[in-house]
Amino acid sequence: MKLSYVKPRRKSVFTSEIQLLFVFFGITILMLFFTYAFLLYKDYKFSQDMQDIYKNKARIESNIEKMKQKITLVEKKNLLAEKIYTQNSVLKDSITNLFDLVPKRITLSEAQLLKNGLVLYGVTPSKDVYNFMLQAPLRSIFHKTYSSFYPLKNGWLRFVSTNYVDEDELEDEIENSLEMDEGVEDEG
Amino acid sequence: MKGSVSRQNIYLLALSTFLLVFVLLFSFAVLIPKGQEYREQRNELRQKNLELKSYEDFSKETLSILKKLQSDNRYIIEAFRNEFDAQRFKKQNKEYFVSLDISEKTYIDKKEEEFNIYEVNTTSHIFSPKSFYDFLDSINKGDWIIKVNFPINFKRDDDVIRSSFTMRVYKDSNRSK
Repeated sequence: MKLSYVKPRRKSVFTSEIQLLFVFFGITILMLFFTYAFLLYKDYKFSQDMQDIYKNKARIESNIEKMKQKITLVEKKNLLAEKIYTQNSVLKDSITNLFDLVPKRITLSEAQLLKNGLVLYGVTPSKDVYNFMLQAPLRSIFHKTYSSFYPLKNGWLRFVSTNYVDEDELEDEIENSLEMDEGVEDEG
Repeated sequence: MKGSVSRQNIYLLALSTFLLVFVLLFSFAVLIPKGQEYREQRNELRQKNLELKSYEDFSKETLSILKKLQSDNRYIIEAFRNEFDAQRFKKQNKEYFVSLDISEKTYIDKKEEEFNIYEVNTTSHIFSPKSFYDFLDSINKGDWIIKVNFPINFKRDDDVIRSSFTMRVYKDSNRSK
């Protein structure tokens, strides 16, 4: 005996409401997981980028340090070279001045330029010529001056002039002149 | 009117509530802190990139200073690098001397880490002191860094002057290369 005219349909657990619910939450959860995965990837990328930055920073720092060392060395070389060039020029001026100092009436046969002194060998027509024309200017330059004379057959005199600079006195003189300069500047 | 709720609807409500709670919990407990962390990291990365950029700029600036310094002092750098060659020295300075003899170089321990210092003794004959002045001028333009050192002797020897002096040659040490 038939109780219904419609054919019985099979009942499922997944009703249309359940399906709608699953679709809705499925999409929501999927989006959440995608966002989470994106954040995890970014986290990983961040740590990689930071590592690269630290590596680059260390490399650049080491390069800068090397370049600074090179700059210091070039500056040091430049300073040393300039100092040497100046010393050579000063030496040239000193020798020029020395030979200019010798009057025409006195003839030099040998000159020894020492670090702190000067030894001159030569001939002079008389002691007076030597004393006035050579020893006087030498005395103004050197702190200690010694002279010895040997007579020659022609009446002239062979002389040996030994002159030394007292380095302690020289330092005092430099200090005094610096102090005087400062005093003049202060007064000005 | 019947006020009862069907069992299926109760399951539906329970499932919805469970999923909603999960979504909310996941969002608030995991996603939002992670998002905040991401924002902080992004700012930190931007800051570190700026810092790196400033380092790179400083490095470029230092490099340009070094290049300029090296090009301005190219001659001096080369001169410090050159190995002293007595024959070449004689050839370069023969116009100032009638004769020129140079001894073997001897190393001086000056405890200067960057430079080696060698000393050579020189004996020569010159026509006049002017030649020696010209030599001192030319030595500052030569291929080596040379300092003419004391003692310097000049002695009359017939028509010429016999001169002897010491030269100090400065050269890069291995440490400075």
